[in-house]
Parts: sequence; C-alpha cells; structure tokens
Amino acid sequence: MSTLAEFIARRLAQGVLVVWGVVTTVFLLRFLSPTNPAVLIAPEDATAETIRRIEEDLGLNEPITVQYLDFMFRAVQGDLGFSYASNTAVTSRIIGSLPATLELAFASLVFAIAISIPLGIVSAKYRGSKIDYGSNLISLGGLSTPNFWLAIMMVLVLSVQFGLFPTSGRPFGPTENLSSWIAHMVLPTIALGTYFMALLFRMTRNGVIEESGKEYVTAARGKGLPEPLITYRYILQNSLAPVVTVAGLQLGVLIGGSVVVEAVFAWPGIGSMFIRALNSADWPILQGVLIVVGTGYVLINIIVDVINAQLNPQVALS
Amino acid sequence: MISKRTQTSLKRELRSNPIAILGVVLFMSLVIGALFAPILAPHDPTRQYSTENHQAPIGFGSEDQRTVLIDGEIQTIASDNRGTLTHVLGTDANGRDLFSRALYGARTSLMVALAAMSISLLLGTATGLTSGYYGGRTDSITMRLVDIVLAFPALLMALALFGILGPMTIWIPDPLVTSGLVSDRPASVPFPGTVTIAISSVIWVWIARVARAEALSVKNEEYITAARTMGMSDFQIIRRHVLPNCLTPILVLGTVQLATIIILESSLSFLGFSGTTLSLGFDIAQGRSYLGTSWWIASIPGVFIVAAVVGINLIGDWLRDALDPDIQGGGA
Repeated sequence: MSTLAEFIARRLAQGVLVVWGVVTTVFLLRFLSPTNPAVLIAPEDATAETIRRIEEDLGLNEPITVQYLDFMFRAVQGDLGFSYASNTAVTSRIIGSLPATLELAFASLVFAIAISIPLGIVSAKYRGSKIDYGSNLISLGGLSTPNFWLAIMMVLVLSVQFGLFPTSGRPFGPTENLSSWIAHMVLPTIALGTYFMALLFRMTRNGVIEESGKEYVTAARGKGLPEPLITYRYILQNSLAPVVTVAGLQLGVLIGGSVVVEAVFAWPGIGSMFIRALNSADWPILQGVLIVVGTGYVLINIIVDVINAQLNPQVALS
Repeated sequence: MISKRTQTSLKRELRSNPIAILGVVLFMSLVIGALFAPILAPHDPTRQYSTENHQAPIGFGSEDQRTVLIDGEIQTIASDNRGTLTHVLGTDANGRDLFSRALYGARTSLMVALAAMSISLLLGTATGLTSGYYGGRTDSITMRLVDIVLAFPALLMALALFGILGPMTIWIPDPLVTSGLVSDRPASVPFPGTVTIAISSVIWVWIARVARAEALSVKNEEYITAARTMGMSDFQIIRRHVLPNCLTPILVLGTVQLATIIILESSLSFLGFSGTTLSLGFDIAQGRSYLGTSWWIASIPGVFIVAAVVGINLIGDWLRDALDPDIQGGGA
C-alpha cells in the first residue's frame, strides 16, 4: 500500500509541475498576441492618453517578470482576471458556463462507455461474426467522421426532416424542465461521444482478443472455471488497463471536440464562450478556459493513473 | 529505410486483405482528385453561376418549385432545381459547383496534412529520439514539456495559436494552370499557413512520445553499445542505428495522425479560422444555413472528408496488422 501512496505522491508532484507549465504557457500566449488590450477596451475615439492610462491600469507597462508573477499569484488564488469585452470576472464566467460543458462531456462519456465496452467484448468473443463485422464498420465510421459534420447530418435527418429533436440550444437545466433538457441533450451527446465510443470499442475488442490468448486463460479454463467468471473477472479486468489509459489521454479530444459541438448546437458552455472570445480577442477568457481545461486534464490523468495502478499493481512499481 | 522483410509482409497483408485495398484506393483517388483538381474539376470552384444556385445533385431536386431562404424568410419560388450533368453534385447558395469545390477543398486538406505531418515528423522524431537516447535530465525536461503541450486539447490550442498569428495565407501558383495546361481555373491556390503551424504545434508531441519510447527500447541493445565502442558520435548513432530501428512505429503513427490532421483542419475552417474559403469545413459551415432547403450543400463536402479519413484509417490498420506482430489480426 505504501508503494501506491508513493506513486500517488510522485504523480501529484509531476502534476503540479505540469500545471505550472500550463499556466506559464497560457501567460506567454497572451504576451505573444499582437492585439493591444488597452485599444480593445478603450472607446473607439479614445485619445492616446486614455489608452496609455488603461495600459497603466492593466499593468501592461510593467516589465514582463512583474506581469508574470502577478498573473501567477492571482491564478493560484483562482483570480483569472477580467474579460476585456464585458469587464466581468473570468472565474465567475467560467463557473457559470462549466456545468453545461461538463454535463455534455459526462453524458458523452457515459454514452461512449455504455456502448463500446459491451460491444467490444461481444465482438471479441464472436470474432468474424456479423455482429463483429457490423460493429467494426460502425467504429470505423465513428473514427472517421468529424463530429461537427455528424452533428449537422443528425440535425438534417432527425430534426429538420423528422422533427424528433430540437436543433439547438439548452433553454433549461435538468432541474427546471427535465424532458426538454434531455431532448436538447441527445444530439450533442451522440455527436460528441461517437468518436470516443469508436475508439474505446476498438481498444476493448483488441484488448480482450489479446488477453484471451494468454496462458492464464487456458489454465483457468482447464481448471473448469465458469466462462463468465473468466471473461469478466480475468480477461476484462486485464484488458481494461490500456483502455483506461487511452481514455484518459484522449480526453483532450473530447474536451476539444466539445468546442465544435457546442458551436453547432449553440450549447452555452465554455466551448461557445471560447469561440466568442477568440473572435473578439478577449484574451483573459481564452486564458481562463485554457488554464481550467489544462488543469482538469492533468488532474483526470492522475486519477486515471491511480485507477490503473489499482487495476494492475505492477504499474505503480515501474 | 524500409527493409525487404517489411515490404514482403506489407504486400502479403495487402493481398490477403481486400479492406486494406479499399483504403488505398479511397485515399489514392482523393489524392489524385486533389492533385489534378484543375483538370478534373468541371468548373472554377469560385465561379458563381447565379442562375443555377441551389441546384440538387444529379437524381435529386424537383421540377416545379422550391423554397429558398431570402433575407431570413422562407419563400417559395417556381423553378427547376433538378440535378444536371453540368453540376453532378449540385451547387451551393451562390451557384458554385460543389464537386469542383470539393476537389479543391480536398487539395487544401491534403496540403495541410502533408505539410503539418512533415513538420511534426521532423520535430517529433528529433526531440523524441534525442530525449530517449540520452535519458536522464534531458529526457525528463523534454517529457515534461511534452506533457504541458498534451494538457491542452489539440483543437483549443490550435485555435488559440490562430488567435495569435491571425490568418496567414500563402498563395501558391498552380503549376497546371501557369503552364497553360488548363485555363479558366484559379491561377494560384491558397495554402493556409497558420492552420499548418497551429496543427503541427499540437501533433508533434504525439510523434515525440512514440519516438522516445522506441529509442528507450533500443538504446541498450548490443549494436548500439558496439557502435559506441567503435567511437561513433551520438549524433551518428542516433541517425544510423536508432532512427532506422524506430522508424516503423513512428511512420505508422504518422499515417494515423494524418486522419487527425484532416479532421482538425476541417474543424478549424468550419469554425471560420482557416484563412481560406476553399476548404471542405468552410463549405459545410456555409451549408448549415440551408439544411431545410438544400441539404446537399452541407452534406457533400462532409462525404469527401469521411472518405479521406476512412481511407487513411484503413491504411493505418493495414500497416499495423502487417508490421506489428503483437496485434496480428487484431485490428478491424
């Protein structure tokens, strides 16, 4: 158990280092951007004097090291600055938009896992069958279709032609109007989750096939253990470790993908916010979203590693 | 660089695997379509045949009337929008030929894919091999750097970089047009420079990770020690011994990442951050406004993207099945 604790401590220390790198990178990005925030904030007919005063207000005339330390110091305290466009606190803007993104990402993840893992096991067990052939075809399609196009095609067929689902928006939260919330969730969830589902399906299928050929499986069969026990307790558990790792690493695809999917469905999450901010060069918002998403990614991957270490104790030792 | 044995096993796998052949055919036909777009495209992709707008692909459309969105209002006008041989895949809202646009759009995608992959392969392989070969502090610093880049979702990072650099479109003269082989086609094609840089900066890390892992696995082999004893410099060892032995997995990953690049490119141009309008993603975004009336405008370009990516993924599976004995027959 102590090795696991050590492992977690080591991963956390690494994580802190990476998060520091993330915040630094994000700071530098704003610095590299050619737009002068003071000009953005100032009214159109502002004099050079006004612009200079705003620059002073924002601390833009300070040396880069001072600005950097200030940025770091605030970021650690959860203060991500103020939006250039609306002068609202970035942190509260993100807190306001994050739930919509998280519920979409979570729903997509559940959708992806619920379909891919069982289908992967069945596909591997009945290799070469019609089910295997069909699910491989779906998985190839899922891996090859850009999520925004899939989204538009679903809107075209299911919303415009058949009127089954609303085309966009998220007018109510789950507590206000549950059925409307679910109806608005369906298409974005499928659009965002399909790639992930296809990926996890492949990993599960390959993992189960690979594990099934190992000697301990033959030994377990020889001992007369019941087949479901062999499949679920032995094969599945051992083939899931790489699946979990890849799922964690590819989570960026899910979060990045939510930017496009949110744009298609006018979903009021941090993705839509990011695109709006990009169009108006609202760097504090861009920085805030990048920091939150980057930190979240690092955290989730630490959790994934810990889960993996628990699934397979050898990982922690290496 | 690729050994005889590898070539044999690639050929054997291809012969026994009709799906791999399908992948090669799909991808190659798009490459040819894109390469010879000025010859193969029936129209100038930017020319607006304003009297023939909203025309359906061949076999679709109706004779009598159609509904069009004019100034945000749905209006019904009498006309014939049935598909014709002149515009086999129909036209968009401005009367531009969708098949021609798709070929030129595929050109943009493939140019970006080729350029971004070359940059990523160079940068990723150099960094990864050096990091894995030297190990120690070099390795941990490089890998933390890679971790930092990986922490940002590729699309978000590419978008942010686009926000910094702004659109930089390089107009490349089209040799087929400048040589006088075809006329009536754009004399130069837009190459979205920023998109290429933005995508390369997020893709190279994946190559670097694999290159490093491979370098780690060969660096203690006897032939490396032998080369070192013979007095070869580190650079020579990496170039002559480490690189060739790590190349296969790097190239397989490179192939698979081509698919990611094409999807990233189309996503960026879909969102309006590309610097060119000759792009499949851009056309899909245009077509979104006409889903109720002209479904084909958003659909056709997407089919081309999917075809390209399916082709690449099938080729990737073929390479993996042929080259990686561990998962022989495991792939789809």
